Amino acid sequence: MSKFIVRRLLSIIPTLFVIVTLSFFLIRLAPGGPFSREKKIPQEVLQNILKKYNMDQPLINQYFKYMGDILRFDLGPSYTKKDHTVNELIGTAFPVSLHLGAMALGVALFLGISVGIISALNQNKWPDYAAMSVAVLGISIPLFVIGPLLMLVFALKLKWLPTSGWIGSRAGWATVILPTMTLMFPYFAYIARLSRGSIIEVARSDYIRTARAKGLKESVVIWKHILKGALLPVVTYLGPAFSGIVIGSVVVEQIFVVPGIGRIFVQSALNRDYTVIMGDVIVYSIILISANFLVDVLYSLLDPRISYK
Amino acid sequence: MKRVLVALLMVALAATMFVSCAKETAKSVEFIMNNGAEPQTLDPSKISGVPEHKIYMALFEGLVINDPQTSLAKPGIAESWTFSPDNTTITFKLRKSTWSDGTPITAQTVVDSWHRNLNPETGAEYAYMVNMVVKGAEDYNSGTAPKETVGIKAIDDYTFQVELIGPLPYAVDMMAHYAFAILPMHVINKLGDEWVKPGNIVGNGPFTLKEWKPQESLTVVANPKYWDAKSVKLSAITFLPIDDNLTAYNKYKAGEIDWSHGVPLALIDEVKLRPDYQVAPQVGTYYYIFNVTRKPFTDVRVRKALGMALNMSELVDKVTKGGQLATNAMVPAMAGYTPIKGNGYNVEEAKKLLAEAGFPGGVGFPKVTLLYNTSEGHKRIAEWAQENWKKNLGIEVALLNQEWATFLDTRQVSHNFDFTRAGWVGDYLDPNTFLDMFLTGSGLNDGLYSNPKYDELIKKAATMPAGSARMDTLRQAEEIMITQDQAVIPIYHYVEQDLIDLTKWEGWYANPLGSHHWKFIGPKK
Amino acid sequence: MPVLNKKGDDAVNEFNQYVKPVSLWADAWKRLRKNRMAVIGMWVVGVYLFITFGAGLLPFYSYTEQELLHANLPPSFKPAGSVAIVKLENRRVELANAIATNSRDDLKRDLERVNNEIDQIKFEISRDPIHNRVHILGTDSLGRDMLARTIYGGQISLLIGIVGTLTAGLIGIVLGALGGYLGGWLDNIISRFVDIMYSLPYMLVVIIIMAMFSDASNTTVVGIPLNILVLFFAIALVSWLTMSRIVRGQVISLKNSEFVEAARSMGAGSGRIIFKHLLPNTVGIIIVYSTLQFPSFIMSESFLSFLGLGVSAPYASWGTLVSEGVQGMQLYPWLLIVPATAMTLFLFAINFLGDGLRDALDPQSKNRN
Repeated sequence: MSKFIVRRLLSIIPTLFVIVTLSFFLIRLAPGGPFSREKKIPQEVLQNILKKYNMDQPLINQYFKYMGDILRFDLGPSYTKKDHTVNELIGTAFPVSLHLGAMALGVALFLGISVGIISALNQNKWPDYAAMSVAVLGISIPLFVIGPLLMLVFALKLKWLPTSGWIGSRAGWATVILPTMTLMFPYFAYIARLSRGSIIEVARSDYIRTARAKGLKESVVIWKHILKGALLPVVTYLGPAFSGIVIGSVVVEQIFVVPGIGRIFVQSALNRDYTVIMGDVIVYSIILISANFLVDVLYSLLDPRISYK
Repeated sequence: MKRVLVALLMVALAATMFVSCAKETAKSVEFIMNNGAEPQTLDPSKISGVPEHKIYMALFEGLVINDPQTSLAKPGIAESWTFSPDNTTITFKLRKSTWSDGTPITAQTVVDSWHRNLNPETGAEYAYMVNMVVKGAEDYNSGTAPKETVGIKAIDDYTFQVELIGPLPYAVDMMAHYAFAILPMHVINKLGDEWVKPGNIVGNGPFTLKEWKPQESLTVVANPKYWDAKSVKLSAITFLPIDDNLTAYNKYKAGEIDWSHGVPLALIDEVKLRPDYQVAPQVGTYYYIFNVTRKPFTDVRVRKALGMALNMSELVDKVTKGGQLATNAMVPAMAGYTPIKGNGYNVEEAKKLLAEAGFPGGVGFPKVTLLYNTSEGHKRIAEWAQENWKKNLGIEVALLNQEWATFLDTRQVSHNFDFTRAGWVGDYLDPNTFLDMFLTGSGLNDGLYSNPKYDELIKKAATMPAGSARMDTLRQAEEIMITQDQAVIPIYHYVEQDLIDLTKWEGWYANPLGSHHWKFIGPKK
Repeated sequence: MPVLNKKGDDAVNEFNQYVKPVSLWADAWKRLRKNRMAVIGMWVVGVYLFITFGAGLLPFYSYTEQELLHANLPPSFKPAGSVAIVKLENRRVELANAIATNSRDDLKRDLERVNNEIDQIKFEISRDPIHNRVHILGTDSLGRDMLARTIYGGQISLLIGIVGTLTAGLIGIVLGALGGYLGGWLDNIISRFVDIMYSLPYMLVVIIIMAMFSDASNTTVVGIPLNILVLFFAIALVSWLTMSRIVRGQVISLKNSEFVEAARSMGAGSGRIIFKHLLPNTVGIIIVYSTLQFPSFIMSESFLSFLGLGVSAPYASWGTLVSEGVQGMQLYPWLLIVPATAMTLFLFAINFLGDGLRDALDPQSKNRN
């Protein structure tokens, strides 16, 4: 087990290296650049701007300089948010996204697994159909519909909550409710569907039948045996879900004006702000890789049948 | 026990009294606006956008500011100015004013600031505004001459003189622009690029930076050291970077913000009825550019036919509906310039021209693609045009959208398009800003239009003194480019669309440059 | 012990035909037909496919034709002309009120125009058949029929859903199962490749692919516009990533179970174990996950259309119709409700069908009907 963990940890480094290198050259292939403007910047001025950011150097030199910089945890200056370094931008935005994502995922996990259990125990009865219908709604209605709808109802019609903003604004903590509820929805639906499916599957398996045959109490069977086995697909899903929810809440951040990393990611891609894109890619891949790593470890804890030799 | 209660009550009473007292004396008026986007920088030399301009007007002040009603020059750091008799030199008399840290602003500060803006090392995108009026600026800015050759000098501590490249009476109005900003050189020289960071930044505007939470909000508070601090009516302004039109509108409707620029297109029917909806004509034009090197648009008859098949009045009345002004001319109405008529809407004539070009009833017309940058509004206009070309001329036009950076690259660099959408907003009030980009070989001539006669007229106008003769020459040029050659199809002139309740706020006026100086805005008594 | 038919154990189905030992499908079909919700789901999917792809042959209005006099009409069974008059008369009252109470003199021009439009329709209504059209689901901002737009919009959305599901299935299942079962360096390479694909900035990757095929709108390959092919490619590129992870996880958890050990001890090769033993036991989760992913493919189309991929205007998709409908939902709710309902109904059907399939294909439920 520990050997497995060490090996996996070591494999993170070459993976990251490939991702960084590939992205560095790839993003520069996209048409346009950070300094293209509709009213073009005069050539002489542009030359000086490029010189300032070392962009007048051959690309390969820029690459080596960049690799040197990131080894010192310096992600460089932003080309469009000129008063901030990439470290500053990500440093302020990432905790916000993490906060929002963690809340949404927490709510989604709690509601999703509860609904999944209720559904599975009442398979093909009305509570099942009702629960699954809500879940299907949750997956089918995109966030860019749920967000404005919730805003319309709770902020404009009922006036219970502020329309948008984040904790630092005048409305304070009340601002987090709408984005959390919006972001939670599809994840809740996924988790409910996945856990229902796998609970049903596990409930029919041999070891559960054995457990029942041994005369164990139904509640013990459900809580101890079924749930433990059934959470596996949910856990697998949580890997990408966690990394996705932390960096991928672009739509929600946009609608509710949350100062998170998702908006920065999209803006930097659209503005061709290379250093910020690279910073985002690095942060995202570290989160993703470590989330998947944790999932692999959790597998072996949750499922007695898996062992890494 | 009783005594304790009484004591508690007293404390509570005192506390409430204290609080209400504080409220009375401070009389704080906070103003919250949607700025539309996160500012890219606060450094006036590096600004290039509208959101940054709004913050600039709070933190800094140049020699002059825009009058909130007419957009013409009004005294700023300069209390007065005089032109030389031949209109080629302006002498500014500076008032005694200081930075927010107490350092005085002198004529030498202005000289040093303008040198920094022009210094090629600074990389100021808008330095060309200075180059257009100040003698010697272009040479220094392009690195071919030392800074001493720029025609600006400090005559004494409070007298500053500018030499212009010619007789330019409107130059003083341009100097309200941030390209002519006055900068805290004592801080910049000490801290370099770090000077704009919160905590370091020093300004001379009616407000100073209090807090900047990236992507969330930027707050400024009244600057007690501002030379005209007593006429500043707001105690704080918060700028929010909301780029989602619907969210901004909802936020405005819920009363969470006081001013929102831009409105959601889909809700225009509702917005229009609001008493607080403000529309003002803007000096800008929405148009389609033909790539005149591509068949069939090499044929002027085809270009004219496509232009004449569109009824722009129908578009602005029934599709865009925001008060835009239908047009067939490139240059909007300006002082001294009467817009040309253009070719107008004439389906019969359009059909005839198309038949002459060899496509009677649209038969045999090659498939062409109209390119636009992704946006709900551009799409709707393109769909409307597409349908009208089909209905009126029998032509099938395909539509293609691209995100902004790709779109710009296609339009400006590869020119790989048949015809494309474009928009142009003037930085200053002169027809030339709409016309000189169509010069042969100009970097902004995306449709690769070329007509020696046109070039000649535009170049001639550039050497003429301001006045009706110059305007006539420009007008002749526009007639050639639009009426005769139809290099572009002008569609409408932009309008500024704002939501602000003018029964609650005063000092905000709709104006052609959309520049609303903060020191005039305050609660209505 | 999960029961799988042993080799050579020839079975006979209800039509008295000999079937291969893997009678999974016939067996499943039998069970599927017993599940009422799944059957309804199947019918709905069938009807959708028929109407959507047969739309050209059915008597719908054009989805491109504009009639600005009929813009933003609510759903109604009445002729468009009279619906438009009612709408304009309401507008007239609104404008008159705004002019009176908000002192908005600038709206007088609008009022005059509305009056002219009312007169025009009243004059034309008995002469021009266009006013006799019936838009049962209303019209959009350019006066186009919402029913037609929603139906035609389904074409690209359904195709995207199918392409995404197929590529996710083919690539994701194979790579996930191989990596999970064989483990070692192969698993490591596949997993790291998935990590890298996840991490690359997808938006820019798509923009670059687009740029390589620029001027795409005029080119067609075997009759399909190139930028739709690029759209399929962009979807396929990432559709399989999560699926491969899920399958890998399932296979890892199953590969040491008794029935696999048994098969292995009977001399079954890796391929056989994966496809005959492991995958049938993960089919449930694969189907559930596929139905879960379906809507995300439809939605990613609307994101990719932002970058210029996919169908170009005036053609629409459910994704673009819904995202446009949201913008105006406070005034014209039908512009959101119509396409959103059409889409949700279909996704419901897919989900119930998927659930039915899951239950039917589950090897564990095989011998109990």
